[in-house]
Amino acid sequence: MMLARVADSLYWIGRYLERAEHLSRLSDVMLNATLDHTEAASQAAHIALSAVGDHDIARSAKPFEAARALVLDREDSNSVIMSLAQARENARQVRDQITTETWERLNLLYLKVTGDDAEADFSAGSSAWLHDIIADLHLFKGAADATMSHGEGWRFLMLGAYIERAQLIARLLEVCFGDGKGKKPTDHIALMSLLRMACALEPYLRVYTAEIEPRFILEFLLLNEEFPRSIRFSTAQMEDHLSRIVRPGDTAPGASPERLAGRLKARLQYADVEALQANGASALLSTVLDECAAIHEAIFETYVAYPLELRLPA
Amino acid sequence: MARAQTIDDIPTLPLTQAAYLPGEAFDEMYDGDGTPRAHYREMHKRLLTLSGEDLAERQKTLERSFLLQGITFTVYGADSATERIIPTDLIPRIIAAKEWSRIERGLIQRLKALNLFLADIYGPQQILTDGVLPRELVLGATSYRREMQNIFVPNQAYANVCGSDLIRGKDGEFAVLEDNLRVPSGVSYMLANRDAAKRTFPGTFRAANVRPVERYPDLLLSTLKSMAGWRSNPQVVVMTPGVYNSAYYEHAYLARLMGAPLVEGRDLVVHDNMVYMRTSTGLRRVDVIYRRVDDDFIDPLTFRRDSGLGVAGLFNAYRAGNVVICNAPGTGVADDKAVYAYVPQIIRYYLGEDPILPNIETFLCREPAQLSHVLANLDKLVVKAVGASGGYGMLIGPHASAKERADFAVALKADPDNYVAQPTIQLSTAPCLVNGHIEPRHVALRPFILSGEKTVVTPGALTRVALRRGSLVVNSSQGGGSKDTWVLSEGKSKP
Repeated sequence: MMLARVADSLYWIGRYLERAEHLSRLSDVMLNATLDHTEAASQAAHIALSAVGDHDIARSAKPFEAARALVLDREDSNSVIMSLAQARENARQVRDQITTETWERLNLLYLKVTGDDAEADFSAGSSAWLHDIIADLHLFKGAADATMSHGEGWRFLMLGAYIERAQLIARLLEVCFGDGKGKKPTDHIALMSLLRMACALEPYLRVYTAEIEPRFILEFLLLNEEFPRSIRFSTAQMEDHLSRIVRPGDTAPGASPERLAGRLKARLQYADVEALQANGASALLSTVLDECAAIHEAIFETYVAYPLELRLPA
Repeated sequence: MARAQTIDDIPTLPLTQAAYLPGEAFDEMYDGDGTPRAHYREMHKRLLTLSGEDLAERQKTLERSFLLQGITFTVYGADSATERIIPTDLIPRIIAAKEWSRIERGLIQRLKALNLFLADIYGPQQILTDGVLPRELVLGATSYRREMQNIFVPNQAYANVCGSDLIRGKDGEFAVLEDNLRVPSGVSYMLANRDAAKRTFPGTFRAANVRPVERYPDLLLSTLKSMAGWRSNPQVVVMTPGVYNSAYYEHAYLARLMGAPLVEGRDLVVHDNMVYMRTSTGLRRVDVIYRRVDDDFIDPLTFRRDSGLGVAGLFNAYRAGNVVICNAPGTGVADDKAVYAYVPQIIRYYLGEDPILPNIETFLCREPAQLSHVLANLDKLVVKAVGASGGYGMLIGPHASAKERADFAVALKADPDNYVAQPTIQLSTAPCLVNGHIEPRHVALRPFILSGEKTVVTPGALTRVALRRGSLVVNSSQGGGSKDTWVLSEGKSKP
């Protein structure tokens, strides 16, 4: 049993932190790749910026400025700093529902990115700084996993994280494998950067060896059953968490979030790799994005903003 | 063999007689001759061994830990919001066992009498009929809620949580400065300060045999549950105005340690005079609301209509007996500063006992004779507005300029009913760490009393400190801080 508002806040903490981690990693990989003045470098910058919806070609020529904006821009509600601030604000509102260990990880991270030294530290050593942010986010997840009861609250937290992750990876793949205009990455080093942006390079190498092929990357990030950042894995997690959250007796009109997640999971489970290669992944990727948006809506309607008349005692 | 050094020979130590010059006031650590009092001996010995750097280092660790835990309040500026920790001093204030037992008995006696008083004035009003207090003084107070008239309150416990402010004057006697029966705060700082003090002075803490305060959340929960004794397992919630309230940390802290949901007004709905909270799986009945929202804001249908913090219909559910609101609405009338002057009579009237803890002498400006005395002695008195709290709307005569006094006199004459005056009390002083030195600062004591089926006092308190040298105002809104308070056990302390 938990307050609807609390469930909503925990869900958003999960989303914001996943977003912060992804943007930190994109920035880090982009900055690292663009140290070389090569074709691969500009491809990597293009992938990273397009994946966050920034199609301004001029920006990719100034990767450091672009990365600083992604990380530290307080005007942009999606930046790392604002995502962390919003996650922490949500955590403060549900402070009684999360463990002290979990809270302290997040609060520490928040104090670090909003501190007076943040700008200077980022400029002085952006790679080390971003590396620490990502490591701190992993510590948060570890603390949540190890100290919070794996009950409803924790499941809402996980749910937010996996929905966000599926969407972020889908957008990354859309840039590289969608129908949209713009050059597709072909360069070996650019493709390695793509894998790094999904934190997937090492697990990929275990499966496919150093043979880095666009179709394998697509297959791995979209359909791999075991890699925690693949869309299929994320969707399976969403369905699992939804199936274990107690459902209200009377369901609101519309599809239940669990059914939507199960349907998407099945689509990915039985997706035809040959057909994807023949016809392109664009259609499937936009289905993923649409379905994730629908699941998000359904969660809100079912658990948070349900109509009161359905739930009044008889 | 070298002669043992006297403390004056060690200039690097922050606690030297030169740095610590107790003033006029009663000092908690030193007696009149400059010898440490018996119950401070261990702490004094420890302080003699610590250098300024040691203490500063510990102070830094403490502040860092408060920041990390989120024990902060937010200061809203023009375009930004900064989080600050409440200024906290690491040197605990110590109270001897015998003194505490008198305080404890005095507080229980006082709260019992005040609850009987509330039950009476919201019921038969016998005390007014008997002429102990002027009728208009009670019924005309802004904090009197006629909506509460004849409402059943379980255990006759109107004020379930009370935080009284005690001070110690020049004579060394504790007296009650004011009672806080509305939504007193500070208890989380008592617990956080204790946690910090244990880490700062572990050895001294162990040796001193300090009574624990950590049971407070558990006692609070059973007090709240005892208010709905007819339900087998009452659902208790903590109601907060929200994350922007300056005491939000405390609301979340208590909810977490009691295991009770922390709700806001928007989480509750009233249907058929029952109160429910919106959970992820539907509506769930609420039995007891420990509300940290002022009377005015709990129900826009009954109290202030422009408030969005409360729950429409809550008061009707309360009136129907389907939910208990703690503290009851309308308790403020018993901590009104004019009613305060009558508390000794109230104790005698209901309990037939003499008050164990004295009041501070209080002049009611509504009485013409007392008003003229107050006006003639403005430079010696503290004048307070009866309805105000938090150190606002008051004049400290000896510290005010002639112009401030003249301005206040005009306000006083215009609305004498609204003011009371008290002699300026030299609050006692306790050692505090200030800029690397240990110096005396004025302190006040806020213990917490719980009242449901039983009335209990937690053996500890929030000691509030006026951090500015010579200042007598301890309110956190006026530059005050806090420190831990050690209440020692009766038994002999272990070596």
